[in-house]
Amino acid sequence: MKNTQTIRYRSLIFLLLLLYGFTAIAQTKANTKIPNDEDQHRIEGVVTDSQGVPIEGVHVLIKNSRSGTFTNRDGTYMISAHPTDVLTFSYIGFQVEERRVGDLSSIDVQLKEAVTDLGAVTVNAGYYTVSEKERTGNISRITAKDIELQPVNNPLGAIQGYMPGVNIVQSTGLPGGGYNIQIRGKNFINGSTEPLYIIDGVPFSSQSLGSYDVSGQILAGNISPLNAINPGDIKSIEVLKDADATAIYGSRGANGVVLITTKKGKIGRTRINVNISNTIGRVSNFLELMNTEQYLEVRREGVINDGFGPFLDDSAYDFFWPDIKSWDNNRYTDWQKELIGGTAYRNNAQLAVSGGSSQTQFLISGAYQKETTVFPGDANYKKATVHNKLNHQSADNRFKINLSTIYTDEKNQLPRTDFTFSAYTLEPNAPKLYDDEGNINWENNTWDNPIASLEEDYQVEINSLIVNAGISYMLFPNLEFKTSLGYNTYSLESYKTLPSSARNPQLGFTPKNNSSITTNNSKRQSWIAEPQLNWNKEWNKTKINILMGATFQRETTQQFVQKGTGFPNNNLIFNLSAAEILEVLQDADSEYSYQAFFGRFNFSWDSKYILNLTGRRDGSSRFGPGKQFGNFGAVGLAWLFSKEAIFSGSSILSFGKLRASYGTTGSDNIGDYKFLDTYNITGFDYDGITILEPTGIFNPLFGWEENQKFEVALELGFFNDRLFLNTSWYRNRSSNQLIGIPLTATTGFSELTGNFDATVENTGFEVDLQVINLQTKNFNWTTTFNITVPRNKLIKFDDLETSTYANRLIIGEPITIVKLYNALGIDPDTGIYQFEDYNADGNIRSPEDKQWVEDFTPKFYGGLRNTLSYKNLTLDFFFQFKKQKAFNNLRWRTTPGLRGNRPVSLLDRWQQQGDTNPYQRASGGLSPSVGPSDFNQSESNAAVSDASFIRLRNISLNYQVPSINNNLEVNVYLQGQNLLTFTDYEGPDPEQPSSIVLPPLKNITLGLQVVF
Amino acid sequence: MKQIQKKIFLKKYRINDLICRCQILKLLTLFSLIIGLTSCSDFVEVEPPKNLLISETVFSDPATVESALANIFYKIREQGSMVSGRSGMTTLMGIYSDELDYYGFDTNSNELFHHNVTASNAVLLSWWNNAYNLIYATNDIIGGVENSNALNAENKARYKGQALFVRAYIHSLLTNLYGDIPYITSTNYSENNSVARLPVAEVYEHVISDLTSAVDLLENINVTGERVLPSQDTALALLSRIYLYVQNWEMAESTATQLIGKHSLEPNISKVFLKESSETLWQLKPGDSPKNTHEANQFIIQAIPGQQFALTDSLLDAFEPGDLRLNNWIGTASNIDGTVTLYFPYKYKAYITESQSLEYSIVFRLAEQYLIRAEARAHLENISGAQNDLNRIRNRAGLSNTMANSMNDLLEAIIQERRVELFAEHGQRWFDLKRTGNAGSILSLVKPNWQETDVLFPIPESELEINPNLLPQNLGY
Repeated sequence: MKNTQTIRYRSLIFLLLLLYGFTAIAQTKANTKIPNDEDQHRIEGVVTDSQGVPIEGVHVLIKNSRSGTFTNRDGTYMISAHPTDVLTFSYIGFQVEERRVGDLSSIDVQLKEAVTDLGAVTVNAGYYTVSEKERTGNISRITAKDIELQPVNNPLGAIQGYMPGVNIVQSTGLPGGGYNIQIRGKNFINGSTEPLYIIDGVPFSSQSLGSYDVSGQILAGNISPLNAINPGDIKSIEVLKDADATAIYGSRGANGVVLITTKKGKIGRTRINVNISNTIGRVSNFLELMNTEQYLEVRREGVINDGFGPFLDDSAYDFFWPDIKSWDNNRYTDWQKELIGGTAYRNNAQLAVSGGSSQTQFLISGAYQKETTVFPGDANYKKATVHNKLNHQSADNRFKINLSTIYTDEKNQLPRTDFTFSAYTLEPNAPKLYDDEGNINWENNTWDNPIASLEEDYQVEINSLIVNAGISYMLFPNLEFKTSLGYNTYSLESYKTLPSSARNPQLGFTPKNNSSITTNNSKRQSWIAEPQLNWNKEWNKTKINILMGATFQRETTQQFVQKGTGFPNNNLIFNLSAAEILEVLQDADSEYSYQAFFGRFNFSWDSKYILNLTGRRDGSSRFGPGKQFGNFGAVGLAWLFSKEAIFSGSSILSFGKLRASYGTTGSDNIGDYKFLDTYNITGFDYDGITILEPTGIFNPLFGWEENQKFEVALELGFFNDRLFLNTSWYRNRSSNQLIGIPLTATTGFSELTGNFDATVENTGFEVDLQVINLQTKNFNWTTTFNITVPRNKLIKFDDLETSTYANRLIIGEPITIVKLYNALGIDPDTGIYQFEDYNADGNIRSPEDKQWVEDFTPKFYGGLRNTLSYKNLTLDFFFQFKKQKAFNNLRWRTTPGLRGNRPVSLLDRWQQQGDTNPYQRASGGLSPSVGPSDFNQSESNAAVSDASFIRLRNISLNYQVPSINNNLEVNVYLQGQNLLTFTDYEGPDPEQPSSIVLPPLKNITLGLQVVF
Repeated sequence: MKQIQKKIFLKKYRINDLICRCQILKLLTLFSLIIGLTSCSDFVEVEPPKNLLISETVFSDPATVESALANIFYKIREQGSMVSGRSGMTTLMGIYSDELDYYGFDTNSNELFHHNVTASNAVLLSWWNNAYNLIYATNDIIGGVENSNALNAENKARYKGQALFVRAYIHSLLTNLYGDIPYITSTNYSENNSVARLPVAEVYEHVISDLTSAVDLLENINVTGERVLPSQDTALALLSRIYLYVQNWEMAESTATQLIGKHSLEPNISKVFLKESSETLWQLKPGDSPKNTHEANQFIIQAIPGQQFALTDSLLDAFEPGDLRLNNWIGTASNIDGTVTLYFPYKYKAYITESQSLEYSIVFRLAEQYLIRAEARAHLENISGAQNDLNRIRNRAGLSNTMANSMNDLLEAIIQERRVELFAEHGQRWFDLKRTGNAGSILSLVKPNWQETDVLFPIPESELEINPNLLPQNLGY
């Protein structure tokens, strides 16, 4: 019964759509019948910029009507109008001009560049656009002009540091890796901080489909799907942060929304844009490690300290310490230089053809990129992107259609493991990588040769397709019907091989008993349909805008991971059918359905008082029966006080706006099917019986996480908006935390997803300043500055003491804290690290004695940018800064003398009674007292230090070659990324403080752009 | 009907070229009404994925219950389980006691070998986690089988009996390693998440009660095939061992007697560990890779250096001259120039390169039952009975009858016999040292870091962080 009803409703919708179609035709016909009014006369003219150069494609429109035209290549236009009409001239980047027609037959217009005019800047808010001046929400924006200055591979790389409230960290220096992003802090105790990504109107899942079985050791399994978007194709990126802007995304807006809009063709002649660049990249900082002499000195000292000195002379024990006894004691290799000291090359080429008439515009763009790594070997990443966009509008401007397609093919071939950790820890006298015959050197089975990893292939190939169609029809002068349809597929095929040739031959491994390949074939598909109605009306000073719409989305994900072991020979390793044993490690599919209704009511009086109401009702399949729907909404208010009479004559204050917003959003970012108790087919068997493994505990009673956002902001423009200051304060409270509650193993599982009565508060202060310091004919200087001071706090957690978080969280402290031992330096008598015994039981134990609290959330962060241009030369430099703490070198090595190289600073060690050096006595790992203290020190506050930095994130020098004619534009540019870093951090890289992952590289790019 | 409606609609809109505001509102209302009505929750209800089965479905068919049980035996066999696998008790309790020397570089193993175990030791954490994960699986089966209407009485008894046996077995190992532990009998996560520890004696009471039920349920249940699934005899074998641990000599003797009456020792010492061996009570069938045991792959030394484990000198010295086990169950390897020779357990001989499946990993075998009964009889002062049982094992190994004829001498001789018969089998040596109270006096000689608190492992640190009811930590950690 229910089903037939559904069908009936669906056919009703269909009927309605049909009706729209009919009325559309009817309306078009009706319009064409309107006879030419005899009062009309023809007007001609030229539109130029302030320099007198004609502008092509300026929209010339009769105000309050739909008839208009565009200027030609020479800036001329022709239009028929009544004497009472007013013509408006608008073009992106210029101020809108209005002219009364009267009896003039020629109207020439000079448009002013809208560098400082906010009114002309429209911001994409997702379902609607809003003028920068009249927006009620917090939306940060970056456009192609700024993205193009940065040699990055991922759209997130381009906004790193530029936006207040948006904290982005690159997770690896390897090509094809990912980024971690936090918009206004971490809202959920155990949840992800990933925002919602919308690409040309289509939600794009950023969840990696990488399998840990395949890529765990090289990209940490994190392969960012956003790599599919070529930054060169992006027109703008908007980040929605407050309730007013995000509530219309309901359950998915809690972590913010990132809107990516791709470029489209411009009216005018066909243009060809060629952009070629080359980049070289290197590791920006190397650690200062011990040389062979220093290393062997502490090694021997360690063994002697442990009381095993006499064994050093007994050759029967040589195998126990090959670095001291078997290997050449005079050999020295700088393993950092050897393993991560190479140069990565990136070649980029992009060709775009665009153009179009006033009705139809097109853009076809193709880009190719190849990037190598700093590792030995020929690892590389290749990406090819095709981006097409077609826009069409009917002659009467009522019907509009646009189609956008992005197709990307990525191929990433890397070694199976990241060499970075080996580079920091290999013994400085470790043997050579290859023997004289060029074979991998195993030095009589005394070491694990890291270079063997090159014999093991890792490759991932990704195809992404994002298609979006937007159709809109102006039903009545004020009412527009619009449908956005989207489809995207993302498929990932990767493999990892472990041939027996990568293993020490003495172990007796053969292709038959050891060689293996693991493959991952994954695919995600999703479609979305969003019908919308938009109604606009103006009466005198009142403007009303109503938007209503619905979303239907379905997403399916499949993942198939299999492993083949045992091959007749290593050449057949890619042929799974040749494998002796074929195991299916993962064969999963999941389905996610999402349905929503949303609306917006915007009221503006005199463009002075603005009220914006948004809301959404959401349903998601990720929740149990009866818990699937939730309601979200927000109210935003703005007061443009500079329009009040008392400021009207002010020469100082040119713009003033006070705005505030409050609302709720939610999050369902928890994975599919978490409410079911299930058995999983693992692909293994016992005695021929297929295995079924219990995978989850039944828990239907969980619902949405809630996030309440509040913001007040003040926007001020001074001296004709030459100085523009934007300050905002926000407070986001997240409650009903939907988290995987860690369980003790005694439950049989490690976690359970459920709602927890805990509240996390993120508050913060954001400042964004733009100053035009100098603006003359030849010389321009602008400065922008942003800073964010965030604060994260757990404000409520009922029964925290008895909960599973008792030892992890503290009420009143950030949720990102870590609890550590308090290091008290070394005991001058024994030379062993000492720690504070908080509970005074005579033992140093966790968790009782881990009472020292550290927080790694940045205290503040931001960026400072200066752009200087003189005639055709533009210099742009951008500093990013961050005040933060992080784990330092002691996190991974605290004791000199253990096998494996260490930072040279560890030489400053205790050697005899009474010494008070910072590092404990050397040990060969054979003394019982050193083991725990070595470990405890790495878990103490001594392993934490300041990791604040100021980094020259980006510098670019652009020269526009004076053109021979108007139709040729040539730009030469030199760009640098991460060239300088000022920091006191004791570790590889303060931005990405890890010692097992390749840090972000420093890059220099030389490029050429030709437009003709 | 629909046709007419459509026509009326069309007419209306054609006539009204000038639309008044009220009609726009009507249209808006209609639009919202329609999308509102389609908002039935059908759209957001999805089918479960193909790789998942709802628990209820699993217990509606014997085949899927057997699959759920197969999961348990698979996990017992594979990595992470303390019973078998690459880091099981056979190797690690061997290096923790005086059976094996460790030559590898794994930090966790070295902590065990050198007796500087910390509460964050990853091996001990993995044993603990995997053990309770298995226990959850057994409890889900016990509950699911009880509530199922689709299974017949025989199947119910079989599945429940096997699950009860595993639950008892895993708990018995945990309590022997970690001391006081929670005994988990339900799948209720909120109870189990804040559970407290039970004293060892109470844990053993639960173990015995579960095993007694298992023995009853598995009565007359025919476990066919290669003895790769636990049977009633497997439950009895564990029961007699537990009676020995709790010093219930009468029950230990009678339980062992039940088994000795039904099975016979493998006369040829070189065939004891083959998959066809007549004395096997329960063995784990290997998978496709390796086709034989993990034990062989871990112990057989291919090259020196490169070895992980080798037998200690003291164990080698414990063998009497002429012991057949010395030649049959122990292998040797030397380095290239012959300066270093090492000895390794060679009970299992089929290495990873062997393409035939010859050996399964034996968990319970009859020889242990003779030694259990001998020890129980000695305590019951049945001297000749004890001697007879002990001599069955000695004679098979080519040794003469024991000279011990007092209770104390016999007990000492039995422990010595257990050492050479059961070496490198599931850490038996460690448990013997521990239960006889001799761990300190013997291990302090070979383990310089020995402390009396080493008889128990620490409860994993992460567990104490999540569930404070498990506090306090065992002494010494």
